[in-house]
Amino acid sequence: MELTLAQGIIKASALLGAGLCMGMGALGPGLGEGFVAGKACEGIARSPENASLITRTMLVGQAVSESTGIYSLVIALLLIFAVKI
Amino acid sequence: MIWGSELAKISAYLGAGICVGIGAVTTGIGSGIIAGEGSFGVVKQPKAQEQIFRTMLIGQAAAQTAGIFALVISMLLIYGIPYDAAGGWFKAAAYIAAGLAMGLGSVGPSLGAGYAGSQACKSIARMPKYGNSIMGNMLIGQALAQTSAIFALVVAFLLMYSVPNQPDNIVTGRIIIKSLAFIGAGLAIGFGTLGPGTGIGFVAGKASDMMGRYPNEKSKIMRTMFLGAAVSESTAIYSLVIAFLLIFAVK
Repeated sequence: MELTLAQGIIKASALLGAGLCMGMGALGPGLGEGFVAGKACEGIARSPENASLITRTMLVGQAVSESTGIYSLVIALLLIFAVKI
Repeated sequence: MIWGSELAKISAYLGAGICVGIGAVTTGIGSGIIAGEGSFGVVKQPKAQEQIFRTMLIGQAAAQTAGIFALVISMLLIYGIPYDAAGGWFKAAAYIAAGLAMGLGSVGPSLGAGYAGSQACKSIARMPKYGNSIMGNMLIGQALAQTSAIFALVVAFLLMYSVPNQPDNIVTGRIIIKSLAFIGAGLAIGFGTLGPGTGIGFVAGKASDMMGRYPNEKSKIMRTMFLGAAVSESTAIYSLVIAFLLIFAVK
């Protein structure tokens, strides 16, 4: 399969975009989930009798925070495998 | 080919500079905030000064790890790789990408390890009696934060040593595709470790802080720290997967 320069640049930009997308997209969720877990440690230390409730809230909050990371993963995979040139 | 081995040299030297340059910034900040809290702790609790000083030094050493990874990658980019003319644009792009991966990849982990160490020093100054369990928790937390730096190290090694030479009969479009895919892999793992590294460091810092305040809840605090750090690590693993795909699966 021969491809022209312009097609090559299209595909190449899609791949660079995939890297940037997943890289930047992982930044926010990682930071946010860490913040949630840190505050959960604080909460459990202060009121250990509510540990299961706090853990549940932490996991639900992290799952919501994780969603943007998964959006980035999906877009990166689409950019790698589904871009037509 | 217009360029000979010069191309590989240009990009490797550029990559080496980027790598240790970015890597040094936050490694310095991270160990600095540990030293700040350590000094403040010695003022507040002069009786525990030896313990605080020891924790500060160990914490700083752990926070420096990612900076040392960046130093190793820079050294290898300068002295440890072949500058063949046959490598062409493939190798040139991969060398810059290796520098970007490890340079950006050391930012988050060293900031995170720095926060964890500073909170541990603060906590020991408040409660010198529980110093050992606080320091143990700090070390485990810093190790968790450094895992994402190790992902970046792995990707940098793969970019330096497992990228093939540029074939002779290849169209320009393919060269651009492969080269930018390598740079994309470096950026993916570089930025992708920033959040998880900092986030896990925040968890470890809070856990060390609380272990000094409520030492009876040690096991519950540690369990939550592990669980939260594992969830926070997941996006670094996504980035690792995307980096591997960009290095090995792009035709």
